[in-house]
Amino acid sequence: MTTEEIFNQVSLILKNTFDNNEIDLNHETSANDIDEWDSLSHIELISNIESHFKVRFALGELQDLKNIGEMVELIKTKI
Amino acid sequence: MLFNSYIFIFIFLPITFVIHYLIGKHEKHGHTLSHSWLILASLFFYGYWNFSYLSIIISSIIINFLITHYLISKPHAKIKKPLFLLGLSFNLGLLGYFKYKNFFMENMNLLLNSDFHFTHVLLPLGISFFTLQQIAYLVDVYEGLVKKTPFHKYALFVCFFPQLIAGPIVHYKEVMPQFDDDKNHRFNIKNINLGIFVFILGLAKKVLLADTFAIWANAGFNHTDTFHFFQAWGTSLSYTMQLYFDFSGYSDMAIGLGLLFNIKLPKNFDSPFLARNIIDFWTKWHITLSQFITTYIFTPLLKAMPKFTFTNSMISIFITMCIAGLWHGAAWTFVLYGALHGVIIIINHIMKKRKIKLPKFWAIFITFQFINIVFTIFRAEKLETAFNIFKGMFGLTYFKIPKGLISEELILKSGAIIGPHMNNDQNLNLIFIIVSLYIVFKLKNSMQLMQEFKPQTKTALFMSFIFVLCLFGLNRVSDFIYFNF
Repeated sequence: MTTEEIFNQVSLILKNTFDNNEIDLNHETSANDIDEWDSLSHIELISNIESHFKVRFALGELQDLKNIGEMVELIKTKI
Repeated sequence: MLFNSYIFIFIFLPITFVIHYLIGKHEKHGHTLSHSWLILASLFFYGYWNFSYLSIIISSIIINFLITHYLISKPHAKIKKPLFLLGLSFNLGLLGYFKYKNFFMENMNLLLNSDFHFTHVLLPLGISFFTLQQIAYLVDVYEGLVKKTPFHKYALFVCFFPQLIAGPIVHYKEVMPQFDDDKNHRFNIKNINLGIFVFILGLAKKVLLADTFAIWANAGFNHTDTFHFFQAWGTSLSYTMQLYFDFSGYSDMAIGLGLLFNIKLPKNFDSPFLARNIIDFWTKWHITLSQFITTYIFTPLLKAMPKFTFTNSMISIFITMCIAGLWHGAAWTFVLYGALHGVIIIINHIMKKRKIKLPKFWAIFITFQFINIVFTIFRAEKLETAFNIFKGMFGLTYFKIPKGLISEELILKSGAIIGPHMNNDQNLNLIFIIVSLYIVFKLKNSMQLMQEFKPQTKTALFMSFIFVLCLFGLNRVSDFIYFNF
């Protein structure tokens, strides 16, 4: 899968998880930019991403996943 | 050794600093010597309080290192899981014994109406902090995130003196690469200027503000009689300000000291009183602890739940916050402190879900009131004291309004009692509270000031002036509140 494909799928999952289609996403977007993205919805987002891509994140990786670009890169190394 | 002491500022720090850069200049390969020097200095810094604590921290470092080293070298070993659990139990056991033994025994005696005699253990300084850091490291090793690390680098990660006693809690990922970087072992005037700047900011918060508020807060909390309105608010606000300036001052000093050695420590505070709800508050107050708790307690707890539902999340939050409260110390007031946070976070999440949003001013105002109330519980040794203060704050005892504030006629009409004029001490307390409210609500915080920092003569002069003022205040040597946790 290319970076762009992963990015598009991540965007879709994120919009569905936060139940908000208006969110404007790019590779630099981070949890600070999105109101709905708090530590609780973060875990929901991560578990949705885990089951979609069939990957597993370690606890120590969770903080790195608060930025779309880094998240996409990390998913890429795992699939 | 305290950061705010003559011996630290004028003897320990200059010696450690000079020798560190002398070694950095001459060490050609690797950084073993340079790291060893910082470890030695850090252990001296730690052992200066109480020599016997040294054996605890050293054995904790060695045992954790041996276990993690084995797990890294043999990632597929059969005993991986048992060894990991052994490591985890060792750390939790250490924390449990030193932090909670007294509490447990006292409650047992109370519950069983028994009278077991036990020796009270003294809490080794910083044990909660260096144990948490090592637990995070252990978990990450277990999950295969960590590469082989030499002992000196691991030991320095745990005991680096700026963050050893009261955080910021650092993740090895943040600091270990910095320890390795060659250029970080060379004198960097930019970092040193910035480090001195933040250190003095923190020192001023501690010595000029927190230690002054401590006088009023201590007097208030030692008061056993009923509180009237002004006295109750003076006491609770004084403590809230003391706690904020004490802990954020400590964090600033730690960050400044880190920079003197070219190590960037993570930020721990971000204007927490401007938070609009309690979820937001925990992203601004003791940030590194919140991150640790979210990552290593809340997430596994939630994942262990059978299903990801809103109710299960809320249960996990409540349990997590009770644990977080208890982490601060073994007392029921701390559990209540955590539980109250848990309840309010749940209410915040429900509001968020229903998209209820308060206007900015009221959101900040209500959040601050809640924080002020829970901090009062946090400080009170007995719940009774906290409730006495609340009664006064909310006018349940009686209103006594000092002469001269408003017209006497109005006071009598409203049913309040006319008290004597405010004395100098009370006036000063009021001024300090007003100035501090202005600082925390209106001024830039130290991390923002750091970003905008430019070395200029006028900044240097101003900071030197503040520094000299602080030096006079060092006579009244005082611990930091977070040393007890």
